[in-house]
Amino acid sequence: MINLKFILNGKQVVVETEPSIRLLDLLRDKFNLTGTKEGCGVGECGACTILMNGKAVNSCLIFAAQIEGSEIVTIEGIANGNELHPIQKNFLKYGAVQCGFCSPAMVLSAYALLEENPNPTEEEIKDAIAGNLCRCTGYKQIIEAIAKTKE
Amino acid sequence: MPSIEILTPQSLNEVLGILSNNDKVLKIIAGGTDVVTGLKQESKRFINTEVLVDINRIAEVKGIEQRNGKISIGAASTFTEIYNNQIVSKELPILKKTVATIGSLQIRNRATIAGNFVNNAPCADTVPALLVYNTTIEIESINSKREISLQDFLQGPYKTQLKKDEIVTRINIPVPPKTFVGDFYKLGRRQAVAISRITLAVLMELNENKINEIRIASGAVTPIGTRFPKLEKFAKGNEMNDNFLKTLASKMGEEIIKLTGLRWSSEYKLPVVQQMFYQMLSVILNRAKPR
Repeated sequence: MINLKFILNGKQVVVETEPSIRLLDLLRDKFNLTGTKEGCGVGECGACTILMNGKAVNSCLIFAAQIEGSEIVTIEGIANGNELHPIQKNFLKYGAVQCGFCSPAMVLSAYALLEENPNPTEEEIKDAIAGNLCRCTGYKQIIEAIAKTKE
Repeated sequence: MPSIEILTPQSLNEVLGILSNNDKVLKIIAGGTDVVTGLKQESKRFINTEVLVDINRIAEVKGIEQRNGKISIGAASTFTEIYNNQIVSKELPILKKTVATIGSLQIRNRATIAGNFVNNAPCADTVPALLVYNTTIEIESINSKREISLQDFLQGPYKTQLKKDEIVTRINIPVPPKTFVGDFYKLGRRQAVAISRITLAVLMELNENKINEIRIASGAVTPIGTRFPKLEKFAKGNEMNDNFLKTLASKMGEEIIKLTGLRWSSEYKLPVVQQMFYQMLSVILNRAKPR
């Protein structure tokens, strides 16, 4: 077991954990942050996307021991208390959520994109979410929701 | 997945010490996009791994710099870092184009260039571009330091020269002269998160319309990424016109079959390689035409 120190959704945390559990499992099981989902476990579907030091990554491919000192943001950290983030509001407004399974990861990919590029082209949006599979919407509403969100 | 020990050394010296000292089954991990999936799928290459050595914090294997006509890329540079880098954008456009086609943004934010060619899958995306750039790599162990051509390093599918106590530290590319032009092509079953079925890289120097020098490499159509020295020699000195490009493309197909024999995929891949190779060269030819 190791004592892992990192920043989770803006707060400094310390947790005792097996070094080789996946970040995905650390978040879901130790911290009860179940917004991050497991879809494939091999980094292809993107449902496990979180932000590590500002960058979208697949949490199913990262071991707990690797995140010491890092800044981790999950979907639970995007809203401002009870006030949804503009991306979340637009996802609801433009019908970008059906079953919702891909949504947390999709929102985080969008968030990471807009932090870096507040005015992305449609191609840039597609590139940013190319690693996030959605089986329900056909992506059109998701792309629109992101396009409509200007910082 | 079995419980694995994970070490997070802070310096290259520490890494070299760990690699030299250990009787346990060790694997280096950087981005983890091959290692973790390999462990999960119980791949033969990763089975029995007892210790993972995380090299993400090792300064000596990060960073991209230009010095004395060479560009030095840290082995653990992520594809995102490479894509966003000014030096790469200016001097190594074929490499930049290559890394943009790899995986997804999430993968590119973690996966590293050395991880890609040290794994050396037949479809390793970075290999063709690195081969046409005449890349050399630096490899270190506690007792040795060597620099060899990437071509010599890669031995076979999933097989490289890397010894148990060694780590690739830097990737060195001589800055191509400004007169060199080239391109990269990847065919996958979809636009992103796709394993290459065919990759092609070309770098050439034209004198008016004649080929001064041409470097050709493919991936995913032969057992490992490879250059085509016979083809390159054949093309040298020839005028680059439409007919010659067709001849060259046809010969490219022949060379590939010589290396692989007829495979189940040849019926599809061969005409696609020939056509795409011809198209790539045509685009380069058109770009080079004076306006």
